Amino acid sequence: MTAATSTPPTEAAASRPDAVAARVRGLRKTFGSTVAIDDVDLDVPAGAVLGMLGPNGSGKTTLIRMLLGLTRPTAGTVELLGHGGDDLAAALPDVGALVEGPGFHPFLSGRDNLLRCAAAEPRLDGDLRAPVDAALERVGLADAARRRYRGYSLGMKQRLGLAAALLVPRRLVVLDEPTNGLDPAGTRDVRRVVADLRDAGATVLLSSHLLAEVEAVCTHVAVLQTGTLLVSGELRALLDADAGGLVVSTPDVDDAILALREAGAPSYRAEGGVAVPPGSLEAPEIVAALVGAGVAVWEVHRRRAHLEELFARLTEEDA
Amino acid sequence: MTTVTTVTTVSTVSTAAATRTTAPLGRLAAAEVRWVLRRPRTLVLLVLLGLIPVALGVGIALTGGPGGGDGDGDGPGLVAAVAGNGLVLPIAALGLALTLLLPLTVSTAAADALAGESAHGTLRGLLLAPVGRGRLVVMKAVGVVAVAVLAVAVVAVVGVITGMVVVGGPSGTLITLSGTTLGLGEALGRVALVAGWTVVQLLAVAAVALAVSAFTEHPLVVLAAVLGGLIVFGVLAAVPSLEWLQPLLLTSGWAAGADALRDPLPLDGLASSSLRALVYLVLGVAVTVWRMRRRDG
Repeated sequence: MTAATSTPPTEAAASRPDAVAARVRGLRKTFGSTVAIDDVDLDVPAGAVLGMLGPNGSGKTTLIRMLLGLTRPTAGTVELLGHGGDDLAAALPDVGALVEGPGFHPFLSGRDNLLRCAAAEPRLDGDLRAPVDAALERVGLADAARRRYRGYSLGMKQRLGLAAALLVPRRLVVLDEPTNGLDPAGTRDVRRVVADLRDAGATVLLSSHLLAEVEAVCTHVAVLQTGTLLVSGELRALLDADAGGLVVSTPDVDDAILALREAGAPSYRAEGGVAVPPGSLEAPEIVAALVGAGVAVWEVHRRRAHLEELFARLTEEDA
Repeated sequence: MTTVTTVTTVSTVSTAAATRTTAPLGRLAAAEVRWVLRRPRTLVLLVLLGLIPVALGVGIALTGGPGGGDGDGDGPGLVAAVAGNGLVLPIAALGLALTLLLPLTVSTAAADALAGESAHGTLRGLLLAPVGRGRLVVMKAVGVVAVAVLAVAVVAVVGVITGMVVVGGPSGTLITLSGTTLGLGEALGRVALVAGWTVVQLLAVAAVALAVSAFTEHPLVVLAAVLGGLIVFGVLAAVPSLEWLQPLLLTSGWAAGADALRDPLPLDGLASSSLRALVYLVLGVAVTVWRMRRRDG
């Protein structure tokens, strides 16, 4: 249940390999008799793109709200960019967040809403219009900037929320369901923004129920269910641990199965060749056995687990 | 070499901005006032407030012109005193507006300041910026004070202009309720006195409204609580056996505004009602600060 702090993928983070952008310990939140978050320990490594997964009502938003100091934990500690306790707010100038959907005033234009946000940003100085226009441009809202927020579509509102999180260069960006209501182009834009942030050395914490989305952009995942952290760690490591055996593409299926059985590895017919379940021989031994038996081998690859399978297995196991 | 990315991004802003943990208070207050004044409902209420002295003045000019207006029977005495005595109009209009429309205006501003922001999800944005919770209350208070001052100023200024143009009077003088005559300068001083006193009373209402606003995310709850409270105060004040309650009720001193029309000026009513308003103000602000330090964003 503890997070694996593995080597962060970006250069900026590599200079401080032990650095964590956010850390929670023994975090617990109860609302009356309902336990929203139950004893969660989580590290968000600096430079990581961490996807927080979980069914609706699993506590993702509550965890994020506590991380940002919006909700007081019932128990446990939160540390954000090295600041914790009463000092937590000192980290917030470097944190951009889109939590629980975008919040803006309907009677103001998107641009005027952002100008109001910019006035409250400690990191901005002087003319606030330049960063506001840059943020609008970045999320593809420049054309609609002067229209009233009232008339925005769901996707445009979401883009404006993203722009507010990106007003200032951030060290940590927290995005709660950022692709809600976005069309495919919008989803692609969010993916690009996240990639840009990662390339700039920022840490991104992303909550989503879209597994494909998380798989596409995240380096790390954390899976929550009914307030408990089921697993967290590097996405690739988790998927590899969950991966199946080898898949061998060959036209000589029968010969291959026979050769593998003689070598001591059970196998079975699969699409385009044979599949070798894990647990018998290592990949080089399997390839050697096949080639030794004169079986034509086109391709051997490890069957990659998909996040969806992992997620389904994790959440159904405990359900 | 590896910290370059962070350093370059931060270096795009000035050094002061790079280290501070909250935005300058002046900028926050200015943004708040701008926001308040662009809100359509604020503007509608200000226009309505401006119509009060105009309607009063036109009504008096039409029904009881100079010489013909004894005005007894209908309308409060203060309004009757306006006839042929234009500079009484702003004072009468302020007294009239204080019964409902002015408290409604400041309550609306206070309701939007915290409950409304919370309902729109924008309070979260301010807390995350971060605007410290103490600063947030200051920033919101500035916005509400701006509305209170502006609302009273609209009634007073439109009242003076309407009084002088539409109602007219004995050449820029004011005849007091005591029968004496004040010059233009002193008359305007009396109007300013009542305006200042009205602002103090309104700030008491606003502080209580802000405190309620800190507890809810429904702006209507704030309006209902404050206007309901004022009505309950009015009912309590009308019950003879509850006379001992009078010193506790904010509204029981609201008749003191008319004292400004007496000569010599009796100050005890204005002073005691202002003192009472200050007690409400301090209590309201204290509860607001206490609550906002704990409130979930």
